[in-house]
Amino acid sequence: MNTQNNCNMHEALMSYLYEESTPDEKLRVETHLTDCGACKQEIHAFERVRGMLQQWQLDDMPVLRVSTEQTGNRSILAVLKELISVTPIWAKALSAVAMAMLVLAVLGTDVSVGRGGVTFHADLLRRNRVAEQSVVGRPENPTSNERASVEQIRAEMKSLVNQLVADRESEQKEQIKAELASLQLQLQNVHSADLAKVISRIQEQQTRLKTIERDIDRREGLDLTDILFSEVSKPAERSTAGGD
Amino acid sequence: MELSDTQIIERTLGGEPDAFNMLVRRWERQIYGLTLRMLGRDEEAKDATQETFLSAYRNLPKFRGEAKFSSWIYRIALNICNTKLRSRSKFAVSLDEQRELTGFELAADLEDLGSEIQREQITRHVRRALQGLPFEMRQVIIMKEYEGLKFSEIAEVLGIPLSTVKTRMYTGLSELRKRLEHLREAM
Repeated sequence: MNTQNNCNMHEALMSYLYEESTPDEKLRVETHLTDCGACKQEIHAFERVRGMLQQWQLDDMPVLRVSTEQTGNRSILAVLKELISVTPIWAKALSAVAMAMLVLAVLGTDVSVGRGGVTFHADLLRRNRVAEQSVVGRPENPTSNERASVEQIRAEMKSLVNQLVADRESEQKEQIKAELASLQLQLQNVHSADLAKVISRIQEQQTRLKTIERDIDRREGLDLTDILFSEVSKPAERSTAGGD
Repeated sequence: MELSDTQIIERTLGGEPDAFNMLVRRWERQIYGLTLRMLGRDEEAKDATQETFLSAYRNLPKFRGEAKFSSWIYRIALNICNTKLRSRSKFAVSLDEQRELTGFELAADLEDLGSEIQREQITRHVRRALQGLPFEMRQVIIMKEYEGLKFSEIAEVLGIPLSTVKTRMYTGLSELRKRLEHLREAM
């Protein structure tokens, strides 16, 4: 039996292995395999390799979707939508402000901030503004006027601020005074209450002292018999009084 | 009645771009399987699959219908895989590959292991053995073994003679036999 594979049967063996041989070819290979040990061994080895290859199977299929929209000629609107969807919020806000300014500029809008507050004046294509300017006319020396106006506003603002500060100071002074007066009153009340207590205690002590002095005086004026009699007579008086 | 690939292409080219999604759904599994086995890396295979269909959609007007759509899209996928493999750094090794290269050895006694673990280990060996094959052999084996293409269809996809396909197949299987011989007992 031939054990060296130098039969030049490679292509036929492949067709046989994968069952793509024609009937004639299949017969030829099978006849050869009965005689050639190397080819037979090789075919068996290839079958084992195929068995191992088949162990690698895909368990899951990932979700794959190809969007055809991405490849065609996309509209500007679609591109803008995608751009907006991926733009961070701060960039969106900034873009919105820029867009608003652009629109206002195109509309010929004047935005002014003055003593009357914030004022908007929209004038498409600036026609009315030109008319107004032609009627009113521009001042010959706008810079000096503006400066004077600014100075005037500054002075007014200054006096206003000073007035406000002065008012505030006086208010604070009044408040402090009122608080002081209140505190003094509370203190006086506390003092007078304490004083009254002390006076009443002193008076009480004086009363007790006088009582003690009277007792002492009376006892100094009596002798022992008087005391005894007075003690004896007291029950008799009590019984007499009780008999009444 | 299900539309043929050619009919779907006609519809797509006739102004129904969404019809192309039918082709995507029909072929995405095969293309993903091909790219995964060619590249050996999941994320790269997903990207290659997406790129394959996008490229097919862009070039759909160039599809003449002489070959089958499947042959055409397989060829696109293989070209994309080839480009990706060429652009890969020699030193860039995926985590899976690192794990396989450093810590992977077959267990001494595979009979003690569960069949699932055994299958997984064989799969890793097969994967590594396939990745070690030259591109020309690998693509033939993958198309034959996993995509089930006939030799004549592989020849059509690659634009090479049938005999060359069979020779590459034979050489590739011989190489795999050498690399996987030690798994024989496990099988």
